[in-house]
Amino acid sequence: MDVEVFAVSTDSRFIHKIWQEAELAKMLDGGVPFPMLSDAGGKIGTVYGVYDEEAGVDIRGRFIIDPDFVIRAMEVLTPEVGRNPDELIRQVKAYQHVRKTGEVAPSGWQPGQPTLKPGPDLVGKVWTKWKP
Amino acid sequence: MLEVMTARVGGEAPDFEANAFVDGAGFKTVRLSEYKGRWIVLCFYPGDFTFV
Repeated sequence: MDVEVFAVSTDSRFIHKIWQEAELAKMLDGGVPFPMLSDAGGKIGTVYGVYDEEAGVDIRGRFIIDPDFVIRAMEVLTPEVGRNPDELIRQVKAYQHVRKTGEVAPSGWQPGQPTLKPGPDLVGKVWTKWKP
Repeated sequence: MLEVMTARVGGEAPDFEANAFVDGAGFKTVRLSEYKGRWIVLCFYPGDFTFV
């Protein structure tokens, strides 16, 4: 998919190393392949609106950033529920497709499905092009 | 007045530098803006050795 992934938590890089070696490498062949960043003191999380000062940790937040360095999408969850990687992948593919084609991806779009060309001709005619 | 950049969709991603651990490469410093021109996914999570 041609994406750079970074994981960020308030843990130190030393803890990241031990977690990778002690646990992740046993859950996933070869461990996680992306850089694990240390957000000491929650400075990065504060700017991104995901730092929980009371708990001293970054909550689950994920951001898709395009090649112009513009944030395209964000999702932030409280800690009890994990994420759905399929939805992240769908969104990345949709944004990449839209950037390439100038078309737009309607609700529920999945890779391989048609996208829409916005314009006067499409007004009131979406139903002819998009049949989910 | 101090202007603090905050993250919002459609806005520029706030840049930062962080210490990182990269499997196979060891410790390095990552500056986010060095990856301008690429698609980036930034994933925050509460902590190593947690459960979800």
